[in-house]
Amino acid sequence: MTRIVLACVLVLGLAFAAPAQEQPKPGGVLKAAMIGEPPSLDLHWTTAVIVQQITWHIYETLYTYDKGFNPIPMLAEGHTIADGGRRYTLRLRQGVKFHNGKEMTSADVVPSLNRWGRMATPGKALWKFVEAVEAKGPYEVVIHLKEPSGSLLYGLARPNNGAAIYPKEVMDAAGDGQVKEFIGTGPYRFVEHKPDRHIKVARFKDYVARTDAPDGYGGKRVAYFDEILFIPVPDVSVRLAGVETGEYHYGQQIKQDQYDRIKTMPGVSARVIRPSAWSTAVINHKQGLLTDKRLRQALQAALDMEPIMAAGFGHKDFYRLDGAIMFPEQPAWHTTAGFDLYNQKNKAKAQKLLREAGYAGQPIRWITTQEYQWMYKNALVAKQQLEEAGFKIDLQVVDWATLVQRRNKPELYEVFSTGFTFGPDPALATSVQCNWPGWWCHEEKDRLMDALIKETDVKKRRVLWERVQQLLHEDVGRIKFGDYFTLDAVRRELRGFQSTPELYFWNAWLAK
Amino acid sequence: MKTYIARRLLALIPVALVVATVAFVLIHLAPGDPASIIAGPDATPEDVRKLEHQLGLDRPLPIQLVQWYGHLLQGDLGRSIFLRKPVTEAILDRVEPTLLLTVFAIVIAVVIGVPAGVISARYHNSAGDQALMGLALVGISIPNFLAGLLLILAFSVWLGWFPVAGYSPLESGWLATLRSLVLPAFALGLVQSALIARITRSSMLDVLREQFIVAGRAKGLGERAVVYKHALKNAMIPTVTVIGISFAVLVSGAVVIETVFNIPGLGRLIISAVLRRDYPVIQGVVLCIAGVYMFVNLVVDLSYIVFDPRVRYQ
Repeated sequence: MTRIVLACVLVLGLAFAAPAQEQPKPGGVLKAAMIGEPPSLDLHWTTAVIVQQITWHIYETLYTYDKGFNPIPMLAEGHTIADGGRRYTLRLRQGVKFHNGKEMTSADVVPSLNRWGRMATPGKALWKFVEAVEAKGPYEVVIHLKEPSGSLLYGLARPNNGAAIYPKEVMDAAGDGQVKEFIGTGPYRFVEHKPDRHIKVARFKDYVARTDAPDGYGGKRVAYFDEILFIPVPDVSVRLAGVETGEYHYGQQIKQDQYDRIKTMPGVSARVIRPSAWSTAVINHKQGLLTDKRLRQALQAALDMEPIMAAGFGHKDFYRLDGAIMFPEQPAWHTTAGFDLYNQKNKAKAQKLLREAGYAGQPIRWITTQEYQWMYKNALVAKQQLEEAGFKIDLQVVDWATLVQRRNKPELYEVFSTGFTFGPDPALATSVQCNWPGWWCHEEKDRLMDALIKETDVKKRRVLWERVQQLLHEDVGRIKFGDYFTLDAVRRELRGFQSTPELYFWNAWLAK
Repeated sequence: MKTYIARRLLALIPVALVVATVAFVLIHLAPGDPASIIAGPDATPEDVRKLEHQLGLDRPLPIQLVQWYGHLLQGDLGRSIFLRKPVTEAILDRVEPTLLLTVFAIVIAVVIGVPAGVISARYHNSAGDQALMGLALVGISIPNFLAGLLLILAFSVWLGWFPVAGYSPLESGWLATLRSLVLPAFALGLVQSALIARITRSSMLDVLREQFIVAGRAKGLGERAVVYKHALKNAMIPTVTVIGISFAVLVSGAVVIETVFNIPGLGRLIISAVLRRDYPVIQGVVLCIAGVYMFVNLVVDLSYIVFDPRVRYQ
């Protein structure tokens, strides 16, 4: 009898214990199937997303983003602002170790920030306002600004092309070139890079984690895996097949039309990365036909975004029609300003504008690529719609390497296809920069953007931003087709993994 | 014979020079540049120009070509822009998987192709002949990447016998290496076996109509001896030529299969180099593959002596 009672108690106990929070388990090797090889492992050097996705397990920044995409301290302890917003004193966390065993101090942070300001695309944008960076003792760094900045902390928190803190000696050895040793303070340390085979990182035993709870990308980071292998698997069907058989735990950017199939696969879960990016046609404002605003407006008026996005992304769950520069998931910045000019589907208006502009069927050269199928399909449907309205479109399909080179040459095109990925701070958004290909330079917009980078008051920043978005539509700075989401396939034994716009594997573990 | 080989080897030099120059000029004339790729999608044109200067890519093309020749003369293929190592080292790193894959595929191609061709010829116009040739036609028509994906689906995803993709180097045990190469080798080898089967069959049919075969049969030789000893040996010259060409094609043609199966070989090296415009690597690998072609052709020519004693090289 006692045995039966005991057994019942045990069974009941187990039944209640099962749904409780699963305890993270250290160990194992995580295999992540990535879309390709990173072009560099120096985060200061490149804006390529895959570089950040891999290297921010190795390097850390002074700040990072919480779940609301606000900057919070990471390697910094905190900061004080003085002199009317012109002087930021950053306190560094003490006892943080680099992978080479050395403690991180201001002697590493100052040259890291200066190098980032000299080399990185967002760094250069911010450093226009930076007068000097100096160490104040081993654990304090002072940034002197020429003018106050509402974007400094956002910039320091960026993962992409981010302000990674490297040891001073590594930067000294690199000179003007890329760093040759990949040493940071992150939860994983670099082990080896075998091109086309894998990049291996391993748990850094002396990692000094923050003590605050995980919040977005910040707070406590724990390396549960012994090792992570980032494996370049360029063929998308092989990435999925590998996750299906359990060879990989994670498969990046699976084709959206596989969504329903993945949902039926045992042991695999489909993760929609929302928001991810927006698909766009970038217009050349510097040279050629589309410097005529009426032609740009005609182009904007003619387009019907639903079929364009449907062709590009297939499944309804993977796109959204929205005319805003920032995403609805960013309520602080999402605005409907200028929406009356988005998705007009008005061929008559387009034809009228074409007549007014005296358009005589000169070809509009549109560069696109099949390397990103959605870019090509978006462009193909748009071409058809525009030709129905009276445009003549010369669609030039090239490989990605050719596209990114030709887009820098204003004499070669009128439009090119691309996507703008998620970013937390509008002041640093590539989509509205004047010096980026397409050269959308507009006196009022550029003034507003300057003001936005300097303004620290959140409410005032929002007002400025609403006007920028209004101008994007009014002046047809870019043509936005719509938001799109990507699809990842994840093994169910990979626990604690968060699907966010930025990929990361700390705080995740393998259940078996 | 020795002078012939020496002459052929010397002839490699001008051919290599032409290949090197053409490769250099073509890849530099192609649009796209490595600086834009390194800088990433959000970089401004100024950032890209700065990087181009840093990498020395803004120097005039003839100067770059002459510098490259200079390095070539010293046996230096240059340094990869992306891999942070010399091109020679990058190529040597990738030879093992490609060579093993090619040899494995060619073995499969020969073991399936030659007997299939012989049987087809021997039982000419029978149902078996037609079935084999029908299969061969299917084999030639299926692109190897599709064959690869179908094999993955059947043997990895459904049956779970082989890994989906990836390569296990020899240092981690030859059995694991073999296992990782079975599917890609079949995907490559099956297509080539179809080609070899068709060539063997037609050349066997020609030979079987020759008078010496009739004579052999007339003097009472058994059918086996006629087919396998006399006909096959004489029918081998076109087959060996095709096998030789297949080998060279496989070394360079592994590009697609290595990408599908994620094998870090020469094919993957060149495809990622082309996509990123890693000029030194592209030039180095093209030169290397040209060398393989020339060498294999030489070996094939020399092998004719074995099959046909009438062949003389002077």
